[in-house]
Amino acid sequence: MENPDISNNTMVLVENLDVVFGNKHIVHDVSFSVEEGEIIGMFGISGAGKTTIIRVLTCQIEKKNWNGNVLVTGLSPSKRGNHSKILSNIGYVPQLELLNLYFELDPIVNVEIFTSTYGMDKKKAIITAEKLFNILDIPKDTWKKRVKRMSGGEKKRLSMAIGLIHHPKVLFLDEPTTGVDASKRYDILSYLKKLNQQLNTTMFIITHDLEAALICDKSAILREGKLLEFDTPQNLINSLPSRGLVARISIENLNQEIIKTIQKYPSIEKVLRVGNETIEVLMEDFEDNLPKLMKFLFENELKVYSMSRDVANFRRYFQIRIQEEEEKENRKNRSELMNEGDSP
Amino acid sequence: MTISGLIQKEFIRIKSDRRTLILLFFIPMILIIIFGLTTGVGPTKFFTAAIISRDEMPTYDDFPSNSSEYDDIFISIMEQNSTTWDLYSQFNSTNIGEYNQAFNRCFYLLKNEFIDVFIILPQNFSESIVNNSNPVLIYYIDGSDSSAVRALEVAIQEPLALFRVEINMIENFTIMVPHLEFGVPSWESQLLNYALALILPIIIVGTTMNLTSLSIVSEGPLPRMLITPTAKRDIIFSKLIANTVVMIMQATEIFIMTSFFGLYSLGSLFDFYLVLMLIGFCGVAIGLFISAVSPTEQGANQMYLMMFIIIIIFSGTLMPAESLGGAKFLADILPLSHASVLITDITLRGLPLNLEHVFFILIISLVFLIIAYVAYKFKKLEV
Repeated sequence: MENPDISNNTMVLVENLDVVFGNKHIVHDVSFSVEEGEIIGMFGISGAGKTTIIRVLTCQIEKKNWNGNVLVTGLSPSKRGNHSKILSNIGYVPQLELLNLYFELDPIVNVEIFTSTYGMDKKKAIITAEKLFNILDIPKDTWKKRVKRMSGGEKKRLSMAIGLIHHPKVLFLDEPTTGVDASKRYDILSYLKKLNQQLNTTMFIITHDLEAALICDKSAILREGKLLEFDTPQNLINSLPSRGLVARISIENLNQEIIKTIQKYPSIEKVLRVGNETIEVLMEDFEDNLPKLMKFLFENELKVYSMSRDVANFRRYFQIRIQEEEEKENRKNRSELMNEGDSP
Repeated sequence: MTISGLIQKEFIRIKSDRRTLILLFFIPMILIIIFGLTTGVGPTKFFTAAIISRDEMPTYDDFPSNSSEYDDIFISIMEQNSTTWDLYSQFNSTNIGEYNQAFNRCFYLLKNEFIDVFIILPQNFSESIVNNSNPVLIYYIDGSDSSAVRALEVAIQEPLALFRVEINMIENFTIMVPHLEFGVPSWESQLLNYALALILPIIIVGTTMNLTSLSIVSEGPLPRMLITPTAKRDIIFSKLIANTVVMIMQATEIFIMTSFFGLYSLGSLFDFYLVLMLIGFCGVAIGLFISAVSPTEQGANQMYLMMFIIIIIFSGTLMPAESLGGAKFLADILPLSHASVLITDITLRGLPLNLEHVFFILIISLVFLIIAYVAYKFKKLEV
């Protein structure tokens, strides 16, 4: 370990990370740490900086482009001499199987190719591969067939197995559920959880798929290169007003005017439009204020079809958090424009 | 999207691919400029000759031997007046000893390509002219280059015409059937052996280049490999080794096949095999270069095709290297021109390996390999 201050279990430490390419500031002052065995989800819309952070951690970005204290399995990617060791300690599963698998070869040969890059013993590698294939339910009859003949799901799982073949301490997965149909998405997530539990591998999942938070111990939310949140999904949801309790209300002829009217109600924290005629409302003192809100709606002659109460999920939290940040930025831009207008 | 929209999209796509545009428009332009500026400037000597004059007028009274003047006139025309000939050296050999010495010297010059032809003026050359009978001309030419033989038959007419004008001669020359030296004997497989010098290097360079040019650019998981302890230099080195091994196998196959179908070689077969491998190695190096600098598979294919065409054009076989003028340097820096000379020298002339050509091929290979390595090293590869 290079840094005596961090625990032996810290697999990834990022402190004040900034990534700059030319005049483009891609990542701004990002800090977080990841302990052994944790599954971390990095969520954010395109351009949030998720991939850039992972590229720093996987030694793909030269030191001249980034600043900050970064340790991966206790080693800093800032030193070229550490790269080989770091890359031996980590695994990587790219978004596209095409980038991770030789489609013209069979799974076992694919395993042999990748394990040779880590200098692993061929026999041991095959034993590990068989174990992983069994955990990931890759049918035995496909082990000796060309990868291109495997189904999409099988390729995805084989790609995961390749990422784990050398027993990495940390596994980075880029959009593991992208391109997989809805029903298979949960299967992939289950497999990841299973692997994490059985192998105790720390996992980093970069994804747009907010459902992935279901298996994450911690979630990082990024927007425009800034880390907005880094905590357990449950803690993040609990941080919402009334610990994430929401009222889902369907209103006839719902429009922006009606939403603005509802927002005028004093205890309302957030109104989210989640459907054509449906909104979700977050407010302080939910239990007390919900009946009062309903009364307020009737007084304003709004025709309510239905009302139900629920607890916000991570998807809703993400939506709220990003929306908040956008509103904050819009306010800032407006005030800057006004200041420019005022100046002579 | 309407058809016009689709067409517009295609134009935008093509415009965005600068490499293709450069290949499409700049390469022909550059070639035309090179040919336009460099060839046809100043007198071009197509043939370098040596002359052995055995001319000797019969001796009458006090007239000294070899007092004829017509051989001198002919030699002078060859030396000064002809636009297609360059006289390398001349020999006056009136006795058999001198003649044998001169003949051996000329044979050496011909074999080692100092000259393209040597002409023998017979003993009765001047006498025939004086007697208004047809003088005879004998010449020896390098038969390994059939196109040169045909060209020489035309080119020889020029000094003869000038000579006849000079001396007001009305009789025709009798030109003996030329002695074709270093050609493929008639009982050997002529077509195969004459074609070997060009066809074999083309096959080997073409196929190894093709195989190797896609080795980096078409390998999807290659960037992913860089997120393992594998270094870029290892990747390119492994590709060099693997493709070289395949090339050696191919060279061996070609060697066996040509032997089977009647390879005629005066020189060492081992040297011949070595040349095949040398040119194959150069093909691997050029292929790696293409693969390392090409951003896409399509780009690599286009570059391969362009380079292959240029290599063939400047092989010195389609157009003699001498006729390329200032563009000859292109033939020098490309491998086929050296390979075809090496193969002809070994198989038809029985010469040992010409180290100068070997050195050139090795240098060309090395330069392409270094560029390939540097280009790949700085190539941005992200998963």
